[in-house]
Amino acid sequence: MPRNLIAIRHLHREEISELLESAADFKDRVTGNKPIPSIGKKVVGMLFFENSTRTRVSFEQAAHYLGLKTANFSSSGSSMSKGETLKDTILTLRYERLEGLVMRHKASGSATLAARYFGGPVLNAGDGQHEHPTQALADAMTIMERRGSLDGLTVAIVGDVEHSRVARSNAWLLSKMGAEVRFVGPRTLVPIPQHIGMLPGEVFHDLHAGIGGADVIICLRLQKERMQEGMLSSIGEYARMYQINRETLKYAKSDCLVMHPGPINRGVELDDAAADSDRSTIHMQIENGIFVRMAALNWVFGSDEDRSPKSVDKPKSAKAKKEVTA
Amino acid sequence: MRTLLKNGRILDPSQDLDIIGDVLIEMDQVVEFGQNVSNEDIEETYDCTGMWITPGLVDPHVHLREPGGEDRETIITGTQAAAAGGYTTICCMPNTSPALDTPSLIDFILDRAASPEAGGVFVAPVGALTKAMAGAELSDLASLKKAGIVAASDEAFPIQNSLVMTRGMEMCVQLDLPVMAHCEDLNLSAGGAMNEGTMSAMLGLRGIPRTAEDIMVARNCLLSLFTGCQLHIMRVSTWGAVEMVRQAKYLGAPVTCEISPLHFSFTDDMVGEFDTTYKTLPPLRTQVDLDIMLQSLADGTIDCIASDHSPYASHEVEAPFEDAPFGAVGLETTVGVTLTHLTHKGILSPLDTIRKLSTKPAQILRLEAGTLKPGETPVAQVTVIDPNHEWTFDKGKTFSKSKNTPYHGAKFKGKTMLTFSGNEIYRDAHFSAERYRALV
Repeated sequence: MPRNLIAIRHLHREEISELLESAADFKDRVTGNKPIPSIGKKVVGMLFFENSTRTRVSFEQAAHYLGLKTANFSSSGSSMSKGETLKDTILTLRYERLEGLVMRHKASGSATLAARYFGGPVLNAGDGQHEHPTQALADAMTIMERRGSLDGLTVAIVGDVEHSRVARSNAWLLSKMGAEVRFVGPRTLVPIPQHIGMLPGEVFHDLHAGIGGADVIICLRLQKERMQEGMLSSIGEYARMYQINRETLKYAKSDCLVMHPGPINRGVELDDAAADSDRSTIHMQIENGIFVRMAALNWVFGSDEDRSPKSVDKPKSAKAKKEVTA
Repeated sequence: MRTLLKNGRILDPSQDLDIIGDVLIEMDQVVEFGQNVSNEDIEETYDCTGMWITPGLVDPHVHLREPGGEDRETIITGTQAAAAGGYTTICCMPNTSPALDTPSLIDFILDRAASPEAGGVFVAPVGALTKAMAGAELSDLASLKKAGIVAASDEAFPIQNSLVMTRGMEMCVQLDLPVMAHCEDLNLSAGGAMNEGTMSAMLGLRGIPRTAEDIMVARNCLLSLFTGCQLHIMRVSTWGAVEMVRQAKYLGAPVTCEISPLHFSFTDDMVGEFDTTYKTLPPLRTQVDLDIMLQSLADGTIDCIASDHSPYASHEVEAPFEDAPFGAVGLETTVGVTLTHLTHKGILSPLDTIRKLSTKPAQILRLEAGTLKPGETPVAQVTVIDPNHEWTFDKGKTFSKSKNTPYHGAKFKGKTMLTFSGNEIYRDAHFSAERYRALV
């Protein structure tokens, strides 16, 4: 069975450490112009059903440094727009002999579905509101570079937690590595406390209390649709209640890091002073994204002891395939 | 032709009968049952030792998908599945394409169900309460009743407008038709894929809050109370919904409700890693709800068990969770699940089990079914169940055209062995073998 990277909640602490150490090693090699170990000539499918700039470019760069070839595939202009089911698309890519798949899709659980039928490693580049594991790895790497460790830190995740895959992946990763996680936001955008039982974090609705004494603040992007859905009255109201700026940062620790997965709505989640200060790690997060994605690709392929092509040359019945990959 | 069902445990809730005895079927009618049944001129004897002999089972809630959804199920395959499940009467839902809102469509359903290839069970159609189930104009309910509908419902498209529902109920009071209602506030449930709770929060799936069900059950119960319309609430899942029904019954409203096996055997954590076979409507709820469901089945607040047989093609089910359809096939598993989870666990007595699977749904929908009394059903409707037969359900070996079920590989104790509807319409291979052994 191939190794996948679907969700941080599936990973053990040791696996997260291994990925973060590997990412630091790749960073050292890339920035120091040192040789990068090859993981063989493989073709990785880049299957982005949702728009993405940074994640896509970041995976492309990671593949490039590792000597992997990428095959691009976007939903418009593909067979998906002609009504093909996701399962059939995945099976098609399997028999196109792609050896790995990076996928982003609007539906939570779509990466799990892809892994069921693809037969090779699947890396989740964001599935609906479920998880975005490589973003959490990039954020963790960034925090570790600035703080040395994640253990014992207090991290406040501020904003639209309910609809955020970044929040979920970050919460799992940070809590597994010993940090205390807080979810901060309005009642309409954070799971109600009774529903938080299977997510590792404590709920705060008041910004002052939520970021009080925090070592790290992770701001989440606010989607405009939330106003239309009646979850918020206005952007201005949200900014007045939850914006991270020079004033509100006073509640956090004096050396508190300010993070954002991007793209930023300047003047909404963050003001310019917070986004561009020394405390901001926004650019580091983007750069580290490449190295954690190198680590992720290396990790999923590294487990593939049999380096020969997958047994796609002997087509089996659909049922037999399912049993092999399930 | 005289057929003797010999030495079984006769369970007939319509006469509170629970005795060991024989049932004699002559031509296509039950003529005698009890301990001193004549055994002269018997042409065929079924040894029912250790088995239950019950009125044919009655399912108030089945989707046969025809017309319009023949890739999922047809009247032929659906009635065959019903016979294999022990049913002799099933109510088919109007959310077909087109919806069952005109008498000619009812004629079509009844014709197909009576065809020789069909399973031999009685099909009692439920008509659309509003035209095209659009929730605006009432269907021609008097004509539909004349054509043979036994109830009216907008099923999967619950009427949101309380005024339309009130008028529909008023018309149904006049026509003496029960209204069946799936209760869901579509604003509260919009975009939801599973129960709103800890699992949905973890999986990042939009939740269907319990209030979406509770509020509509409360509204419909109040409308039933004030109009006097007989209301049957379909597939309850929350403790709140059951409490509303309990209260409505206390106030004297003519309200009944059903539950599907999914809702008394599973909770929302079964969704696990986005397993779409556990996607159902209303969604699987929590352990608190499940406990109240079991208690309310035992105390009678939940009147009956419906398979809510909802066939879907495999390509529809093998999709991202939020895109997959709600529902599972159930005709061939309901007896197994019910006996395993309710009867053998002491929640329902054998007599109450059959009451909820046959007599009560027949009474609610005023069907000539649910009894062994000679002459009270159009033909002999008898089911033989082996309550102790242990078996593993294999979705590959079913009569239904669709295989969407969370019970594949499940172990059950209790199985339908023989179904009679006038004549034998289903006999299980195990029963034949045992019968053969008994004869030699």
